[in-house]
Amino acid sequence: MPIDCEDQELLEGFLAETTELLEKLDDDLVTLEKSPDDADLMNRIFRSIHTVKGASSFLGFDFLVKVTHKTEDVLNRLRKLELALTPEIMDVVLEAVDLVKTLVGDIKAGDIVERDLDTTVSKLLPYLSEGATEATVLAPGAATAAAQPAAESPPASTAASTPAADAQAAAPEQQAAAPKPEANKLPKPATPPPQIKEPPKPAPARGGDDLADNSTVRVDVKRLDDLMNQVGELVLERNRMIQLHSDYQSGLDPNGFADDFGKLSKRLNFVTSELQMQVLKMRMLPVEKVFKKFPRIVRNLARDLGKEVDLHIIGEETELDRSVVDEIGDPLIHLIRNALDHGLETPDERLSSGKSRNGTVVLSAAHEGNQIVISIKDDGRGIDPDRISRKAIDKGLVTEDQIAAMGASEVLDLIFLPGFSTKEQATDLSGRGVGMDVVRTNIRKLNGIIEIKNELGRGSEFILKLPLTLAIIQSLLVEVEREVYSIPLSSVIETMRVSQREFHIVGGQEVLKLRDSVLPLLRLGRVFNCALSDVQTDTCYVVIVGVGEKRLGLVVTRLLGQQEVAIKSLGKFLANLPGIGGSTIMGDGRVALIVDPMGLVS
Amino acid sequence: MQTQTTALTKETTALTKLKGEEYGGELIQLVSFNLEKEEYGINVLMVREIIRMLNITRVPNTPQYVEGVINLRGKVIPIISLRKKFDLMEAEHDKRTRIMVMEVVGELMGFIVDEVSEVIRISEKEIQPPPPVVSSGIEQECMAGVINQAERLLVLLDLEKMFTADEKRFFSSMA
Repeated sequence: MPIDCEDQELLEGFLAETTELLEKLDDDLVTLEKSPDDADLMNRIFRSIHTVKGASSFLGFDFLVKVTHKTEDVLNRLRKLELALTPEIMDVVLEAVDLVKTLVGDIKAGDIVERDLDTTVSKLLPYLSEGATEATVLAPGAATAAAQPAAESPPASTAASTPAADAQAAAPEQQAAAPKPEANKLPKPATPPPQIKEPPKPAPARGGDDLADNSTVRVDVKRLDDLMNQVGELVLERNRMIQLHSDYQSGLDPNGFADDFGKLSKRLNFVTSELQMQVLKMRMLPVEKVFKKFPRIVRNLARDLGKEVDLHIIGEETELDRSVVDEIGDPLIHLIRNALDHGLETPDERLSSGKSRNGTVVLSAAHEGNQIVISIKDDGRGIDPDRISRKAIDKGLVTEDQIAAMGASEVLDLIFLPGFSTKEQATDLSGRGVGMDVVRTNIRKLNGIIEIKNELGRGSEFILKLPLTLAIIQSLLVEVEREVYSIPLSSVIETMRVSQREFHIVGGQEVLKLRDSVLPLLRLGRVFNCALSDVQTDTCYVVIVGVGEKRLGLVVTRLLGQQEVAIKSLGKFLANLPGIGGSTIMGDGRVALIVDPMGLVS
Repeated sequence: MQTQTTALTKETTALTKLKGEEYGGELIQLVSFNLEKEEYGINVLMVREIIRMLNITRVPNTPQYVEGVINLRGKVIPIISLRKKFDLMEAEHDKRTRIMVMEVVGELMGFIVDEVSEVIRISEKEIQPPPPVVSSGIEQECMAGVINQAERLLVLLDLEKMFTADEKRFFSSMA
């Protein structure tokens, strides 16, 4: 059924607003469960759902009104303390919110699919009847019975009666229609209360992804004003430049021209770098965008796993580039799942090992220099290196000799190997052995690194270090036989000036003795087939780059200095050249290629 | 991308057809350029711009006809030497050397030619199929036809076909 809405703008506004409200709602609901006495929070939740209901009824989305109205009624009873908040009620309310999300997702997709609303609505109904005070566990039969009076005699909210009756009337015909696959995933209407405990897994995943809308940006008005100011200044400088040029052409004072031009270029430099910063800032989003999904995920997981978990989120206001925000969601979800599934123990286990009943997971984000550091820390059982190495040997990923030669951190890194898993059997949560491999690949794609801190019996911490933006990086400019290359500073460990006579050859490989280790060398000029320049000097520079645990010395002719460079793609035709990660434009307008150390190693 | 480009070409043919109707034939506008004394033509709608030689940055480990990349107002685009691509003698770049920036298979690319001369209008009827044997080493597929006018002979190029399937694979998926 296509959407019949005359005012597209109105519809878009509705979608944007509703999406935002719903995202917030998830978070608020989970918080509410922890602090059920927070009246402000309760009211906010009530207002959100009320706003969604109002807007949907205004636009004529009756099916949305139906669900939101019932949810609102339940919330209203909670608000008036006629009902006590229990996890069961919360499950139903969350399920209703998920359904609303799915419906809004449908509207957004431009096609309204008939969905089974009654299953969810009928689960809400028991809580509306006067008799239902707390988590009165109603028998399947009683649920429908209790629903009946709710429809007939007006419950707490007086407005409830008509739509409730509608819902009842609509029920038979809707159920007669073959339920869509989506509907099948929801628990069957016949047995609502016993199944309530099962959180609706497929719905949130789908709904959440659909609603994550990143095609439009909300920018702080102040930032926009600042930008406008900067552009204004830029226009002034341009006028000044035109003026200067025409003055110069009419032969006015050539000496003064050089002076004025110098000043002008300084101001222009200032204005453009400000402008660059402003635009960069506009691309920034707070990580909250990603983090706010987690309380909900953690709650559901904890209930599934029968664990008690407190999630602390720190630094959700930390900003980073949109492109990074879009990419870190999945790896983070995975790490959080791992923390809950593998890291934290069950309440009983915790008590017997002298810990508090509730496990703690701390998700934090912070800026650190030019990087953003995101950490997921749990106070669970930690990672057992012996178990890791045993599993890795069992699965044939490494040999025993290899394990023997490994340090503690290298053993921990084994969990990133494709195919590694400590679980005997794959569950729907984990155990397929692809997870950590994917996490690391994703993080690497973002030019980030992942570190593990581990204390057996006390917990583990996964630390992600990501660049603030993918568009601009700090780089070391080097000269190789008169060609300029740029090496990302994030992978440079140190640079040194050496004489070529200090190079040794071991098994055909040039190496350099570096303190107590032997460093393999790679002549960039040879790898990149540069034409040799006439002047060959004995001294050269070695740029030591690190890729993971590997170290490699790149032999270059000269170091030119450090510069912030904007990454430009080489386009489809020249993508995937070994050792070349992209290009950048230098101050003189020439193109310099960016070396990809990871590509050189493999 | 491919479909988009084909759609575009269709559109352009439609456009030229419309224009051509008043002349009684289908009219095409070509940019003509020289390479080693031969004259070539390319559909004007393929050409984004024609620029003078710039500093070219060599890109290592690419086929020899890839001259490198340039900075085209903030965009980095690859540059291909048509001389090298067509196995002609290399020549010094002089003040008549031009880079023709074109959109080929959805990507902006620059092609170095000896000289760009003019934009000519020809009727589609004037295009003859390419001769079966080509002496200059130019790849047969790349030629869309020849135009035989009173005092000139133009080779009409179709750059979409310039890269063999192998080369396209090299470009897009080399690891």
